Parts: sequence; structure tokens; C-alpha cells
Amino acid sequence: MANLWNLIILDPMLNGLIALSSLLPKAVEFGLAIIILTVVVRLILTPLTLRQLKSTKAMQSMQPKIQELQKKYGKNKQKLQQEMMKVYKEAGVNPIGCMWPMLIQFPIWIALYQSIMKALATTPENLLDLSQHLYSWQIVNQALPLNSHFLWLDLGQPDHTLILAILVGGTTWVQQKMTTAPSVDPRQQSMSSMMLLMMPFMFGMFCLMFPSGLPLFWLVSTVIGIATQYFIGGGWGYLRPSSTKQSALGRGSKRAL
Amino acid sequence: MRIKILISLGIFCFLALSAGGCVGGQQKPLGFSGVISYDGILYLGSTDGKIVAVNPSARNQEMSFPSSDGEWSFAITISSKGISCGPSSVPVSIYGTPTVVGESVCIGTYNGKVLMMSSSARSQNLPFPRTRSGEWAYPRTEDIIEPIVGSPVVADDTVYVCSSDGRVYALDMTYGDEKWKSDPLGDKLWITPVVEEETVYVSTFDGHIYALSAKDGSLLPWAFKAEAGFASSPMLYENTIFAGSFDRNLYAVKIGDNELLWKFPGGNWFWATPVAKDGVVYAGCLDGKVYAIDSKTGNELWEFDAGSPIVSSPALTDDLLVVACDSGEVYALDIFNGKLINGVSIDAPIRGSLCIQEGIVYIRAQDNCLYAMDVGKGKINWRFPLTIK
Repeated sequence: MANLWNLIILDPMLNGLIALSSLLPKAVEFGLAIIILTVVVRLILTPLTLRQLKSTKAMQSMQPKIQELQKKYGKNKQKLQQEMMKVYKEAGVNPIGCMWPMLIQFPIWIALYQSIMKALATTPENLLDLSQHLYSWQIVNQALPLNSHFLWLDLGQPDHTLILAILVGGTTWVQQKMTTAPSVDPRQQSMSSMMLLMMPFMFGMFCLMFPSGLPLFWLVSTVIGIATQYFIGGGWGYLRPSSTKQSALGRGSKRAL
Repeated sequence: MRIKILISLGIFCFLALSAGGCVGGQQKPLGFSGVISYDGILYLGSTDGKIVAVNPSARNQEMSFPSSDGEWSFAITISSKGISCGPSSVPVSIYGTPTVVGESVCIGTYNGKVLMMSSSARSQNLPFPRTRSGEWAYPRTEDIIEPIVGSPVVADDTVYVCSSDGRVYALDMTYGDEKWKSDPLGDKLWITPVVEEETVYVSTFDGHIYALSAKDGSLLPWAFKAEAGFASSPMLYENTIFAGSFDRNLYAVKIGDNELLWKFPGGNWFWATPVAKDGVVYAGCLDGKVYAIDSKTGNELWEFDAGSPIVSSPALTDDLLVVACDSGEVYALDIFNGKLINGVSIDAPIRGSLCIQEGIVYIRAQDNCLYAMDVGKGKINWRFPLTIK
């Protein structure tokens, strides 16, 4: 199974990453290659991302109806489930539909993560392991070992300057805030506000522990996620709900005029 | 509500720390130190950060360790920095093989220290460093240089060692004073330098072979540039340097020439330092094969497929070539035609360099055990676990 994973997903991505590095200026080769590959993978996965966004948006638009049902059938769980399914069916929405695109994307993100970690090869053991994943392409073998320096970062070492941690934590918070709908249920609300704090905090902490090549990939990926959300999801979403409403109103009044 | 948030934050922090600190993103550096024999005693580094002196005859008799016959062990630890889930002091990783001159045992560690130990002080378990016995650590303070992967080389009362900061260091053998350090020679230097006739030769990750003055570390006029970086330490034989490259070739470069003598293609990197005898270079490759190559022409004489990557350098006796591979197989081959004479298998990868003494092969495997093998007869004489308290 591991061999199949390596053969089909990991090795092509790893060799692609190294080959791409060799085409870039030596001083920034690996950092830039991570950025480019993350953008390319994001572009390839755009149809899935759009589908996921669409499903999430549809689910969010149905929230008032669902909350009404929760109030009405709160004590009778079975009835609540039935009614909810009825509403979803009527609207043509699959409640777990937004999960599928995410699940399909998962292996690709894992492979990208593994490729970055393997290509960094910070220890002799890692370098030896890397040798077993490389194609015999000259472009790949001549590129090694990669220059792990990029801007102020040594991509093979954690960034102790806190800059990357703050950037990753901040962007994760923005992206989450854009998509997390406020809930009328106080329990659910407290849960989501907790998650809103914890996820950025946790990712920020990871940045201080993992080689900074990985947080760089997180940062680029999150920034692309925010941009996609902004341009396709319609503005800042729940990050600035009032401004969204105002701008919508503004647009409406302009149209009326 | 705030308390709940704080508790949950705490749990998340703990999970984050556990994932980052304990699991880590990459393989932990374990080290693969080789074995060296000096005056009948074997010296090696263990995977738990110890330098161990082993007397083979005491191990053969299964005496308790350490016996009084020159045996000792010395744990090298560093205090762990920052947040960690382990103890406050952690063992270092050792990749190089110790260098032994008389009473003195020298090693470079992956945490960036060079240590000179005295066998007599270590067997008495005296506090380190006992300067009166010629012991020292470089740098002397809490400072470190970058990780050291290769072995130190001793010549003319000087210790030469390469570091991941790309520099070669020359240290006084008696006191550990820095005689000189070279300018950075490109990328990391994970190699053992060659010292010959007042010249230090190094092969670099960015594809250079440099010659430095052993007196002051200055670059000598001759240097060689290959198309790709060098993966192996250089080996000097008959005025020619042999080194494996990341482009899957073994390079032969005549000292003083700008053109390479030949290059020999393998199926993967030549990571292990090759060995040479009677005009033949024997090179183990990560493609799992060992190649016998004519040192003058670069023509292949024979090859043997060991079936698994060869990380450790082969070892030679009068008529045998002993090769160990990552799957734990050890083969004795006929030096003239590469025919398999016999083999022994252990249940652990072998990455450290081999040592042959009186027909017995000593190997430290990745299971942190030292093995004594009579490979010619295909048997293991004894096995000694190095996890000694």
C-alpha cells in the first residue's frame, strides 16, 4: 500500500518539486518552488474547492430554517432528523456533500506535505531516504541538495523569529472567521468561538516546531484560500458581516437608482 | 465560559506540543557511527550517544561490562533547549567513527562539538574533560559549531574535522585550541576530510573538490568543479581522488588536473566512501550493488548485487571484500571476481563503517548492538547490546 502511494502520488510530486527547484534561481529555489507548487496544486483543485464552497454556502443559507426546526423539535431528535432531511431534500442539498471535495483533496495535501518534508532532508537519514524516491532524471539529481534558505528562513529549521507563526496564525483566523457562521444556539456559538481561537493558535505553535518549509506551504495555501473565498464566496463573508450587508445594500440602492 | 475556553486552549497547546516536539516532522537523527580497532580494543559510537570501548576477547567470554581490560563507555549528552517532552538532558547523535591515537579517542558529534577523550580517564569514570589527561571539548564554552557528520582525522598533532557550516576546523590535538578554520566552502560538509602531505582535501555538496593548506587552512590553487554535488567523502589513491556524486556517478579526479579522469555511472548515489587496492576501486552504491572498477580506466571489472542500498563503506582483507547493506545482510566476496563466498544476516540495517581485525568483522548495526562475525564461515560469534547503563 505504501509502495503504491509512493509510486502514484508521492514520488511524482516530490520529483516535480525538486525539478521545479532546479529551474529557479539558486538563492530562492526551494522556497519559491514550494510557493509555485502550492499555487499549481490549488489551481488543479479549483473545481473541487468551488464545489465545496457552493455546498457550504447552500448549507449556510439554510441555517435559519434549520434553527427554526431545532427550536420546534429540539426534544424529539428523531423527528428533528427527519424534518431536516426533508428540508435538505427539498432544497436539493446533500448535508455531507461539502465533505467529499475536502476528502478528495486530503491525499494531495498530504503528498505535498510529505514531498516538502522529504525534499528538505535535514538529517543524513532523511537524505538517504530521499535517494530511494528519486527518478534517474538528471535535472532532479543535479539539483541536490537543495538550498534551504529563503528570505530570512532556513526552510529546514523552525522559524524562531515568530514572524511566520504570526502570519500563519493570523491568516488561519481570517479564513476561519470568513466562513464561520454565527449561531443562535449559545452552546454552538461558544464552541465555534473557541475553535476560532484555537486553530490559529495551534497552527502558530506548529510553526515554532516544524521546519519552516511546512508553515510556508500553510501560509501560501491559506492566503489562496482567503482570496478564493473573497472573490468567489462574495467578499469578506462573516469577517465583516455589517460591511458585507452595507455593500450589498449599497449595490441594491445603486441598482434601484 | 472563560474557564472552559482556557482549559480547551490548554489541551490544544498540549496536543500541538506533543505533535511538534515528540512526533516531529522528520526522522530523528539516530546516527550511524562505525567501528575502529586500536591496540586490540574496538571503539565506536552508539545510537544513544555513547562512545564505547569494547574488548573483543572479554565479549567473547561474556564477561560483565566494563571488564578491566580497557573497556569503558562515556555518555555524551546535551541539555535540551526549549519545550520538549523528554528529559532535560538528551543524548547526542554520532555519525562519525571515532579516531584513536594512543590513549586519545576523538569524535565529532551531531550537536556540533568535537571531543577528545582519554581512555584511562574514561575507564576511571572521571569528570569530563580531565585536562591533565589531555581531554578537551571544542568549542570549550556552551557554544557549538554546526552538526558534524564525518569523522575527525588526526595528522601531525592536529585534529581536522568538517562541519555543516561548510568549514574545516584544525584543532590542537593536546589542548583543543583552534589552529585555524577555513572560510565556508559552500554548503554543508558532511564528510571526512583526507589529509595528505600537508594538504587537506574535501568534497562539497555544491560539487567542488578543494585542496587546503594543512598549515593555515588557505585554499590552494587547485580545485575541481563537478556538474553535481558530492555525496560521499573523498578517497585518495595513487594521487587520484575518488568521490561519489548526487548525479549517480563515481568521479575520479587526478590531483592537479582540471579534467576528470573518468566517471562511472551507478543506479543511485555512491554515498559510501569507496576503498581501493591493487589498482581496483571498490564502491558500494545506494542502488544495492557493489562495483569493482579499474582505478586507471574506470572500466567495470565486476559487480555484485546485494539487493539493498549500501550505506557503509566496504572493508578489505587480503582476498575478501566485505560488504554490508541496509537490509542487514553482510557478504564476503572474492576480491578478484566478486563471487559470493559466504554471508551473514542480522535483523537490523547496517550503516556504520565496518572494521576487520584478524579475520573477524565488527559491525555496529542500527539496533544499537555490536556484532562480531566470521563472515567467511557465515556465522555470528557474539552480539553485544550497547544500551549499557
